[in-house]
Amino acid sequence: MTRPRALAVPLPGSTLRAPLVLALMLAVPGTSGCVQPHCTSPLYSEAECRVIAENQRARLRTSVGVELRFQDPEATDDSTWDARGLLEELPDGSVRARVAGAGRFSLSMRAPEDHDVVFPLTVTNVDPEAVLGIGIRGLELQQPLDPSNGSTRTIDVTLAEGQVQWLVGERPCPSRYRLAVTADIQTNPTQFERIIDRLQEESQHSAGIDEPLVGLLIAGDLTEASRDEELDTILELLARVPFPVAVTAGNHDIYRPNRPYYNLSFGPGNHAFDVCGVHVALLDTGSGALARSVQARLPELLHRGDSRFLVVGMHHPPYPGSTGAGWSQEDRAQALLAELAREEADLVVAGHNHALHDFSDVPVGDVTLREIIVGTGGAYQGAGVPRYGYLRLTFDDDAGTMETCFVEVPPVGYAEPPNDPPNGLPYCAPGS
Amino acid sequence: MLLASAHAHAREPPTPANQSVPTPDASESETTESGTTEPSVLAAPHDPDAVRRQSWIACVNGAAPCVRSRPARALLLSLGMAGGALAAGLLFGLGDRLAPGDPATLLVGLSGLAGAGALAGMLAGRLGPDGPAAPDRLRPPTLSLAHAYSGPQILDETRPHSLTLRIAPNLFLPHGHGRARLFGHVGGWLNPARDVDPRPQLTEALPEQQGTAPRVLEQRHVSIGVGIDLAVNLPYPVLAPRRSAQLGAAELRYRPEVQIRRDRFAPDTPESTVLERTMLLPLTAGVRWHLSPRQRFTVYFGPRFDFVAFSDPASAGGSDRLHRGGPQRGLLYGEAWYDIDVPLTARPRRDDRVRSLHATGQLTLGYVHSGFDGQGFDFGPVVGFLGPLHLAWSTRLRPVGSPVAAQLGAFARIGSGTTLGLELGVVAPDLHARGRTSR
Repeated sequence: MTRPRALAVPLPGSTLRAPLVLALMLAVPGTSGCVQPHCTSPLYSEAECRVIAENQRARLRTSVGVELRFQDPEATDDSTWDARGLLEELPDGSVRARVAGAGRFSLSMRAPEDHDVVFPLTVTNVDPEAVLGIGIRGLELQQPLDPSNGSTRTIDVTLAEGQVQWLVGERPCPSRYRLAVTADIQTNPTQFERIIDRLQEESQHSAGIDEPLVGLLIAGDLTEASRDEELDTILELLARVPFPVAVTAGNHDIYRPNRPYYNLSFGPGNHAFDVCGVHVALLDTGSGALARSVQARLPELLHRGDSRFLVVGMHHPPYPGSTGAGWSQEDRAQALLAELAREEADLVVAGHNHALHDFSDVPVGDVTLREIIVGTGGAYQGAGVPRYGYLRLTFDDDAGTMETCFVEVPPVGYAEPPNDPPNGLPYCAPGS
Repeated sequence: MLLASAHAHAREPPTPANQSVPTPDASESETTESGTTEPSVLAAPHDPDAVRRQSWIACVNGAAPCVRSRPARALLLSLGMAGGALAAGLLFGLGDRLAPGDPATLLVGLSGLAGAGALAGMLAGRLGPDGPAAPDRLRPPTLSLAHAYSGPQILDETRPHSLTLRIAPNLFLPHGHGRARLFGHVGGWLNPARDVDPRPQLTEALPEQQGTAPRVLEQRHVSIGVGIDLAVNLPYPVLAPRRSAQLGAAELRYRPEVQIRRDRFAPDTPESTVLERTMLLPLTAGVRWHLSPRQRFTVYFGPRFDFVAFSDPASAGGSDRLHRGGPQRGLLYGEAWYDIDVPLTARPRRDDRVRSLHATGQLTLGYVHSGFDGQGFDFGPVVGFLGPLHLAWSTRLRPVGSPVAAQLGAFARIGSGTTLGLELGVVAPDLHARGRTSR
């Protein structure tokens, strides 16, 4: 059989051709005319694109010209803003502000220069016990509590032309308080609903013993495929949680890259806040690594200030152990571990692996970090009885201690936790 | 090119260089038996079905001892599919709860490469029949310089060009017992990587920049690694030739290795920090399977231990003293490679003049189960589980009769970004340990 002659490429030419083609391929991207700023062609599966999205959604100019901006609680002017919440104008002209974290928050509101404005402002994800104030910066007047709406407050804001007012909030804290942590809800919001039921019970009980549950952290994968109906379902469920819920994105939450669905629903994935004596930093690792600009900001995000404890949460565990569920860019994970060691973080929490793991001794330099993977929010765990529930962190500012235990919320059909507690991480006492 | 070179083999008289008995990374000069260019079809010629069936299991032309490359590739493909199915079963059946999920993800990657390699090998076998071993088969050059670049994609950001000096001298043990290769590299980025902060609240006109996002992170990078790769031949055929399946020779490998990366990060402050990451691979073991005289599948795996050391922030000239500590147990480490040799000058010149240069090519597909160098391979919601893919083409050019050859290569690493590179190397003669003479 005769081979087609066209395939018999002359050999000396082909020997040289491959390097030449590759050299050309290398040279072409080197020309500056091909490059664009981040996210010129939006692809929200890229971490840096979501950094832009989360910051864009933390400021809003309304249809009547009011400029609203989430701020660092320490900020004294409104010249810039910070991604600490989500702002949106509703069709009726009211503004909805979702505070991203628990604890202290601050929102600046600047009226247009040529007319006064009055608008209703609904603030969501605020602790019912939080004290809110509104007015000129530093002279905010306290707002009456409206506990009937749970974590939602509605305020009629009146601004004189050109005036800047601030809405600030802070939760008063006893010396002992709790945080709950979970991750990976994905296909099972029904089980997550059971977890919420348990959290409601614990919230009532803990308030009664002056050890309030002041927040829930969800370390990503709230949805399976970031579809609208999934996001709506989760938002509805979170509205039932009687205290603030702080979330960050997982890889399943950025599945549809054409729009920043996660950020449009929950606000920032990279944000930090102080609640009681804890500085919490949540980092968006949905793309398998941090955005480089966030890596540059780590000292700022992890700075605990006056807070006694530092808890850092993200979806992908920076130390995966033998779970296989690590970062796709391990160099950035190890850079983060070094930064966490430098800041002597008290705890790292993560998900991604649908399981409960307690890595109590992760050596990083001469520091030992503790990392807990708590991917127990409802997602599929495979054969056998799954272990669902949440991690409870109990802080004592006076004693300087942080206690950890796991609250197992069994699936339907089990009255008691069907799993044995993992090594090093006991189950919380029933009814506590 | 595959077709042209492979097809041309039938017209070349058999030489010692055409033999196929593999030694660890063997060069042709180490083979001693002569082969045949006649197909060793065992079927009765009057039975067309039997001829077709037995030609599928025929020995490779010119290979002695016999190697049945097509059944070998089919077996590798089956093993790849079975490994993939097993891994999928572990991950989806036992679920993410599986505490040691890492072996399953390792198996996914290695099995995937085995399957892809087998398919590529089949395609190569279709384009040009498997011939005897390529003359002057490629190995890593003794000394080489590699340049790689991932390209600037973002305005005002700088992606580094990297330059790496590699060594890989070989020492062959007497009597074809095996080979030891010392390999190592030292390299780094020729220019720092610079990244911008795209947050809209920082937008401003900046001097010396085209865009409006300020540069906030600068990173410099140095990379060092060293290891030794020991390869030992297994007997082939394992059984008596008449009882052996003749599916190709195998080698066992042991490759302890250490890799160090040192980065200096300078955020938008006068201070910088140093991060030193060390990956220790003390027990990496592997197997190489010679599926045909021109195709090999190699797999390595072993435990990994990481050391992370860091410095406190220091201004220029300040102390870079590192905080060092114990090891972390890292993810399992693994590699899989499929090599296809392509003799480029096997065919006589058209003008019938004697060639003054021999050229041999090699196509390599690879998978590395590690994100240590920051290039995991993600797709869809599968994020953070797999390492990068490798694709490489290398050409060795050896003047006839010369003990020294040049080796040119081009490669791509495909992970969370794509890195393209070129490598220029020199191949020196191998070292040979002298065997003790028995009386």
